[in-house]
Amino acid sequence: MIEEPGTIQNNENAACGSAGSGVDRRSFLKATGAGLAATGLAGCLGDDDGGGLTLGAVYIFSGFASLYGDEAERGYELAVEEINEDGGIDGEDVEVIARDTEGDADTAIRQMTSLIEEEGVDGLFGLDSSGVAQAMAPQVAEQQVPLMVTHAATPFLTSPEGEHDNSVGNEWVFRNCNSLSIDMYGAAQVAAELDAEEWATIGPDYAFGYETWDYFQAYLEGLGADVEFTDEQYPGLETSDYTPYISAIIDAEPDGVITPLWGADLTTFLGQADEAGWFDAIEYTLFSVGMGTDLPADGSPLPEGQHASTRYDPFVPETEENETFRETYYEEYDTLPTYNAEGAYRALYLYREAVEEAGSTDHDEVREAFTGMEHSGPVGEYHFDEETNQAVVPAIWGTVSQDEEWESNVLDPVEVYDVDADELDELLADSELPSGV
Amino acid sequence: MEPSTTLAFVGLADVVIGLSLGSRLFLIAVGLSLIFGVLGVLNFAHGAFYMIGAYVALTVTNQLIDNFWIAVVAGALAVGLIGVLIEVGTIRPLYERAEGELDQLIVTFGFVLVIHEAVRFVWGSQPYSMDAPASLAFSVSIAGSTFSAYRLFVIGAAFVVMAGLWLFVTKTYFGSLVRGTSSDREMASMLGVDVPRLYTAVFFLGSFLAGLGGALSAPLQSTSPALGDQVIIDAFIIVVIGGLGSMFGAFVGAMLVGLMQAIGPQFIAAGHIAIPFVAMVIVLLLRPEGLFGGIGE
Amino acid sequence: MSTRDGIADRIGTFGHEAVRNGWTTERFAVLGLIGLVLLAFGPSFQVYLFTEFMIVALFALAFNLLYGYTGLLSFGHAMFFAGGSYGMAMVLRDVTPYAAEVVGSGIAPLVTFGLGAVGGVVLVLLIAVPVGWLSVRLEEIYFALITLAFGMLVYSIIIQNPGGLTNGTDGVIVTLGITEVAGAEFRLGERRTYYFLTAAVVLPSIYAIWRVVTSPFGTVCKAIRESPDRAAALGIDVTYHRWMTFVVSAAFVGVAGVLMAGLANVASPYHAHWTTSAIPVVATVIGGATFFAGPIVGAFVFLYVRWGISRFPALEAHWELFFGLMLIGVVLYFKQGAAGGLLMLRGWLFEVRAAYDRGGTDAALTYAKESTSTRLGRIGGSSDGKRGDRE
Repeated sequence: MIEEPGTIQNNENAACGSAGSGVDRRSFLKATGAGLAATGLAGCLGDDDGGGLTLGAVYIFSGFASLYGDEAERGYELAVEEINEDGGIDGEDVEVIARDTEGDADTAIRQMTSLIEEEGVDGLFGLDSSGVAQAMAPQVAEQQVPLMVTHAATPFLTSPEGEHDNSVGNEWVFRNCNSLSIDMYGAAQVAAELDAEEWATIGPDYAFGYETWDYFQAYLEGLGADVEFTDEQYPGLETSDYTPYISAIIDAEPDGVITPLWGADLTTFLGQADEAGWFDAIEYTLFSVGMGTDLPADGSPLPEGQHASTRYDPFVPETEENETFRETYYEEYDTLPTYNAEGAYRALYLYREAVEEAGSTDHDEVREAFTGMEHSGPVGEYHFDEETNQAVVPAIWGTVSQDEEWESNVLDPVEVYDVDADELDELLADSELPSGV
Repeated sequence: MEPSTTLAFVGLADVVIGLSLGSRLFLIAVGLSLIFGVLGVLNFAHGAFYMIGAYVALTVTNQLIDNFWIAVVAGALAVGLIGVLIEVGTIRPLYERAEGELDQLIVTFGFVLVIHEAVRFVWGSQPYSMDAPASLAFSVSIAGSTFSAYRLFVIGAAFVVMAGLWLFVTKTYFGSLVRGTSSDREMASMLGVDVPRLYTAVFFLGSFLAGLGGALSAPLQSTSPALGDQVIIDAFIIVVIGGLGSMFGAFVGAMLVGLMQAIGPQFIAAGHIAIPFVAMVIVLLLRPEGLFGGIGE
Repeated sequence: MSTRDGIADRIGTFGHEAVRNGWTTERFAVLGLIGLVLLAFGPSFQVYLFTEFMIVALFALAFNLLYGYTGLLSFGHAMFFAGGSYGMAMVLRDVTPYAAEVVGSGIAPLVTFGLGAVGGVVLVLLIAVPVGWLSVRLEEIYFALITLAFGMLVYSIIIQNPGGLTNGTDGVIVTLGITEVAGAEFRLGERRTYYFLTAAVVLPSIYAIWRVVTSPFGTVCKAIRESPDRAAALGIDVTYHRWMTFVVSAAFVGVAGVLMAGLANVASPYHAHWTTSAIPVVATVIGGATFFAGPIVGAFVFLYVRWGISRFPALEAHWELFFGLMLIGVVLYFKQGAAGGLLMLRGWLFEVRAAYDRGGTDAALTYAKESTSTRLGRIGGSSDGKRGDRE
């Protein structure tokens, strides 16, 4: 994108490319101005099949969850830049075309269909909403296009179809980050270690909130922990005052609470919980989406000393790969990489490895390359389970503390819980729930 | 902690929470109701206005002048001015149309989308939080629950705004013009009232109040690009329950909805969406004009 | 230059000839049908998009049966859209296993689809009859608000997953199986098959709605819209008529919902949310409520503009901005919606053509320039003019 000056054709593609990948708000203005003025923008319209790899990114870029799309964009932008500077994939540039799912299944499926049929993408990655992901899974199988899910966390997405009523897993759908199931396995390990008998939850009123509580209970029971589950509160998304729910939990006097609140809702909750004396009344609070993506812009952090998990930690593992990614990312965006950025970043490298291994961009061969693939990225070394297509990555839980050097919250100390698919299945044997690993 | 009583009766603390919710909802609903009562415009962008108020206030305190009160005034004024621009530029041409109300609704809906994008462009998607002013940064214990003094201050502010509006509308010359125009526009116009200018003034006032509400809410909740979306639906419900166009109705409606949202979830799990709508249906069926009617009431 | 004039001439001549030779609606309908069939062999995605357009068009048209013809603006028609899609999805999920045993596995998918469609419409009627009965007592903004409230109640019920029926916020996935009749296999969900199926449902539905509005019933509806009091004085039971129109409108929206479930392969709670209720409202305003075809034109603009935006990465990244500006622009500059705008454009082209006949290219250009600037000036000047009148 940067290196090839020259023909008009190239300039057009550069305009399309940089706009598509968004780069930042300023370049958007330039791109729009230039794009609207130049008749050459029509060059963006044709199916671009002049070689190279074209990937479709489907994230939420509007509405209340748009921070997820914006985070992912930073991740894949960086990867595209690195890969293309490094000679591309088999010598060809990789291009990402982003589309907004608007967090809604109808729109997501229309966008996906357009990406596959109009843009001729070689593969898809992304998805923030589990509901949308579950609607899309059968569709990518029908269209026979690989989909690398980088965020949506429901275990049913990687639980093979038929295993449970809600299972939609199939051979075309992969997930490169840890799932809710893996995360709750870690949470249960943490909870079992704590001196806490009574547990409660406060989570958003949709599938993610309910599934978090279901899996947390199931894993704790599987571990044989001597605990009771006392209260559950599910305020709606975009609730402006959590105080009634906060008082209800405080009144129930649990020893520990697990909360999967995220984004602006989590920020609102934290302020109001603090006001109501939550952190004096509740001994342990486990924040399952508390780190990373949900750091507010002005950096007001999770309270130090609380437990939180992340699907990727910029300091774990202490490999050169992770360090390089962390430093490059920090230099580019002036903040530590979040798990959503890392997931999107890694999706590009996964595609590169699969395409190079397959020696082609043929959908079926790329899918085969993904199946059971062993890979190494900032998150560490891992492989995809052959049955579920779920990346077998560890659960990461730690204690929130403020890091002066990075001016950010980090998990320190941090514990890594390696998982083993058979062990998870065993722990869940008494429940109806599939492990999805 | 004291050992909690086994029965979760509605206590004083719940009432405080309800009033606190209600007071924030009032500040947005009253402007919506005022604009509807006088102009007949259902301003869909009112929630987005509220959001801008919050963003402007927190930007002023965090980056320009570390003075909470200036920030709140700046937020309210900025939104008032944006409201004037929108009214003069895009809503005024629609008053004379046969299906004007719907056209106004769609135009303001268009502005919701535009404002969303503008906010994302300027502030990004991530949530912000804002500190309460230092003079109110202490907590108060009521019936065993702890509340920030700021939360109580906002409840007080809602009462003050209500009283001020009531005095303004019933005791001032401008207020009498507003009342007169809202009940009979043609007549007011014939009597020499400059109706377009009055409309703009009312739109400014309504937008100003939305901005004020947003700015005052910023220390109580996080601010993000979708802040207005939930609030606007709550405001619609309140305005219906209280009576379209009634300021006092907006006040009572807001407090009722606030109390329902604070107390409802204790009785009906996940009733947070359904309860206000049920109330709305009941009011519309039994008393469609709302609990109160008319601007001055 | 000369070739372009030539083409314009030829199109003009063709139009004149067509009208002179007595081209009727039927002939244009035949042309339209041929176009529909040809489109099926176009790019696969365009087939998808057009299918979705037909569904949204039916949704908006059925909405406008109530709004445009009785003056009642519903802001809760999403409950019927969702009723159709969930009825369909739940029947498909729960009946398919039994259907195979009863009618044989070959034809079972087709049978369950039919049952699902019936189920969807029945569910919609079950909601619409009581909700309509209660709602039509109210008028104007109060009617809009009570339908909004009922719509959101349906939404809150769906996401509560009553009896495990609706699968909460995830929605119900729809799978259209492979039908086998007399050794021939076909998949109902296949892009072109579903396109024809949708056309085969939507076109007769549009015709049926047309018949409703041109029937004595429709005349009564219009009388009610113009003046409810006068209609009542004529002995018309206004409330009953509104109720019936409400139910008929809901039923057709239900049909659109059924088709949407099959197209997107999911009945999602979003179908019941008020943002979905806004779709036919916006489409109708864009298209023009006073024209029968207005909502269809509006649905077209709504979907194809959004699609057009998505093809340009720079626009897609900020689609809300451009879509919002389009909404504002259309409402401000097209008083009677895009359908009115199209008619106006046609009239304007005839004027330009007449100017061309009079004085050639220069005259035509002059006319075009002047009329355009007058038109654009009107919006800015209008308020001043009004104020002037008053003073």
